[in-house]
Amino acid sequence: MSAPPDPTVAKPIVAHTPMVNEMRLNARQCLAALGLVLLVILLTPSVWKAVERFDTGPDYRIPYDLSKDYWLYQRWIDRADSRSIILLGDSVVWGEYVLPDGTWAHFLNDQGGRPDRFVNGGVNGLFPLALEGLVDHYGKALRHRKILLHCNLLWLSSPKADLQTDKEERFNHALLVPQFFPRIPCYKAGANERLSAVIDRQVTFCGWVNHLQAAYFGQKSILAWTLADDGGDPPRYPNSYKNPLAHITFRVPSAPALDPLRGPASPRHKPWTQNGGPTSFEWVSLDSSLQWAAFRRVVATLRSRGDDVFVILGPFNEHMIASDSRGPYLKLRDGVLAWLDESKIPHSAPESLPSALYADASHPLTDGYALLARMTLTNQSFQAWLKAN
Amino acid sequence: MLFHTWPFLVFMLVVLPVFFALRRTQWWIPWLMAASYFFYGWWNPYYLALVFYSTVLDFFLVALMDHCPPGPGKVDIASRLWRWRFDDWVLKTAFLLSLGLAAAIVAAALCGPPTLRPALAAMSALVFLMTLGSLLSNRRIWLLISLVNNLALLLFFKYARFVVQNANALLASFHWHARLPDPSTLMPLGFTYVLPVGISFFTFQSLSYTIDFYFGRVQRERHFLRFATFVCFFPQLMAGPIERARHLLPQFRQFPAIRVQNFTEGVSLFLVGLFKKLALANYLAFYVDRVYENPKNFDAPALLLATFAFAWQIFFDFSGYTDMARGVARILGFNLILNFNNPYLATGLGDFWSRWHISLSTWFRDYVYIPLGGNRRGALATYRNLFITFLLSGIWHGANWTFVIWGGLHALGVMATRELERSAFYRDQVPRLAKQFGVFAFVCFAWIFFRAESLSDARLVVSRIFTAAWSDPQIPALMLALVAAVWLYQFVYESRFRELLQTSVVRVGAATLMVIYLFLCSSGGGAFIYFQF
Repeated sequence: MSAPPDPTVAKPIVAHTPMVNEMRLNARQCLAALGLVLLVILLTPSVWKAVERFDTGPDYRIPYDLSKDYWLYQRWIDRADSRSIILLGDSVVWGEYVLPDGTWAHFLNDQGGRPDRFVNGGVNGLFPLALEGLVDHYGKALRHRKILLHCNLLWLSSPKADLQTDKEERFNHALLVPQFFPRIPCYKAGANERLSAVIDRQVTFCGWVNHLQAAYFGQKSILAWTLADDGGDPPRYPNSYKNPLAHITFRVPSAPALDPLRGPASPRHKPWTQNGGPTSFEWVSLDSSLQWAAFRRVVATLRSRGDDVFVILGPFNEHMIASDSRGPYLKLRDGVLAWLDESKIPHSAPESLPSALYADASHPLTDGYALLARMTLTNQSFQAWLKAN
Repeated sequence: MLFHTWPFLVFMLVVLPVFFALRRTQWWIPWLMAASYFFYGWWNPYYLALVFYSTVLDFFLVALMDHCPPGPGKVDIASRLWRWRFDDWVLKTAFLLSLGLAAAIVAAALCGPPTLRPALAAMSALVFLMTLGSLLSNRRIWLLISLVNNLALLLFFKYARFVVQNANALLASFHWHARLPDPSTLMPLGFTYVLPVGISFFTFQSLSYTIDFYFGRVQRERHFLRFATFVCFFPQLMAGPIERARHLLPQFRQFPAIRVQNFTEGVSLFLVGLFKKLALANYLAFYVDRVYENPKNFDAPALLLATFAFAWQIFFDFSGYTDMARGVARILGFNLILNFNNPYLATGLGDFWSRWHISLSTWFRDYVYIPLGGNRRGALATYRNLFITFLLSGIWHGANWTFVIWGGLHALGVMATRELERSAFYRDQVPRLAKQFGVFAFVCFAWIFFRAESLSDARLVVSRIFTAAWSDPQIPALMLALVAAVWLYQFVYESRFRELLQTSVVRVGAATLMVIYLFLCSSGGGAFIYFQF
């Protein structure tokens, strides 16, 4: 809107591409840039693996804060000894209320007398629909191995847990669930989010970027990290003047040595009866369940990869089930067992642990895991499966 | 659909091959139009009706204008009204049709549902004007109808609530009990009253065609689909650049030449735009929002830096969008006009406005400033014209007093510095850097009013900048470094060291870094600021 000299008729506008910077690449320069980008994208994850220290050790499990670092999970499974048995499942396998030396995998190793035979491959909050995504896209190393797959009926305990409701729900590991098919009614992400998830799974570099953010920048993008506040009132912004690059230590963070939220000393580590009484569950039927269908697909995928799968059903905290919902539960449980029998999948369904050994509907406390490991190891089917091959 | 989202990539992966495959047929224009409508409808399919309506009306208005005698000759209204005489069968048909239509609309308004009445009343007034235009066989009436229609759409969807609220406040201040109804109550059939995305852009673009035709600057477009594609061409439909018919329409007359250069230039433009939006604008927005959402909690340095950050945020956001728009168009083989030319290197306010949102500035220059008389009627009239033009430009940006003040500030700034900028002293004696700093400081000051949520917030920001204590602004150093790097790049670009930037090493290196940086730092979506206009 500068005052023009006097034009009553605007000048014709030139028909070429005026630019106001020198970022006008020709074909050769475009190819060169593309080549460089591809080189970085393809090589960085591999180089990173060689450079970054990843200390695992006995009873290692993916730290809670890195639950969504699927690239790290893949790396963890990749490096597991080929003769070891991977325990796959949700937070029951991972050990929500217990320390690393109080998990199912720990007691299986301990009581079995062979350290490192069982690997804790559990991920917090990994329901079957997400487990399917994890196995499909980040579990390529799960091939020709022995796998102990946990089946947690908690995910069938209500239409909401089964992700069947029409109302939008926010849930963990949304990036792992099927984005387009089968349709998950309560997953209302836009097309961009869904396509992003699909692309993230396919491009290893994206997984690596996610790892970088999860491991060093509090699960934030580097830019968001520089703006993060300390949660105080008034808030302070401790990262404003920090150099993000200096924050990359090339060492995967391990779980805190003293986890105040887990272990016998934590206030959360207590029997479920201290928090409430029996509950009525709105069990979904196996025929309609999205989670159960996903679980079956996971089993099929693993078996198609030559994995030797053993399924452990529960043990669900039956003490917590109100009498009116016990019948549907037993029907569900029988249905799962019937399918496992029918599909000739070795399995066991341990009886419920004593009530005091549960922290909630499905998570045992430390002693509960010790007992569960004992029950597992003494189970005949399991022993037969262990000895096979 | 946003350019920086994956659905857009999928969209392009479908549109582009089909577009090229249709190059030897007549179907490439319908395909482009269908793609554009799909692109716009992705956001909200109901808005498509509005774009289509505007397109159809302007297309036919210009066709009818073409059947009227050229030139602004006087019409003997009395004789025409008393003795209905038609020299042209098209006008005669238009007269009969519009008369019939007006009657039908009035009947529908009387018998139809009450919610339809306001819309039908407006339509009947418009159709009645068309009847009059046919009868009087006068170009000016057709132009008037186009102006009324496009501006009425804009006024209703964008400004009606603002006008009603202010009018009601005024009535209340006089203790009058009358109250104007909220515009949402006028929406037909229970449709929601929301601002259609890009309405300011496509109405201005369509309007420019009718005005240019009226003044004989552009030929009538006889191919409806070609004209419709011009109005809704998807790269620039949502947020410009506001194209002119004489620039874009001829490009739709034949299939563009397919060249590798189109692709490489388009990709270069798109990459720069993407970087500006995702890596810079979105990043700056975090800090700006933090401060501007609660200005009373921040001291002078934070407010100053947030204002400075907003200046860059809006530049990166809007110029990023237009870079991407131009890039997409270029990949298809079309050229869109330049919309930003490193505005923060301007050495005067006049210069700033020849570098900032160029397509809008030139639109206002050609269709408001010059028709008002421009600078041809003496100094006083020039200043008046400048003031009106800038004020309208401010209002164009949104229905809020903050935008009015923003436009007013620029008007006053341009008026105050116009003579100074023309003086030899300013031109030759004042160091370039000082001039650039002065312009940037003024522009930043005006941005306070643009960004603030309300006038009281804007006043608070201004007063606290001068009165509040000095404390740590806690702005990320990385943010400052990035802006400094871009500013430095622009300085070098306009200096004698520009050749440095032309080397392959710099170009390839910068492009590679931008892509990697996008992967590493991108923090997701966010719509463009200018979509709300």
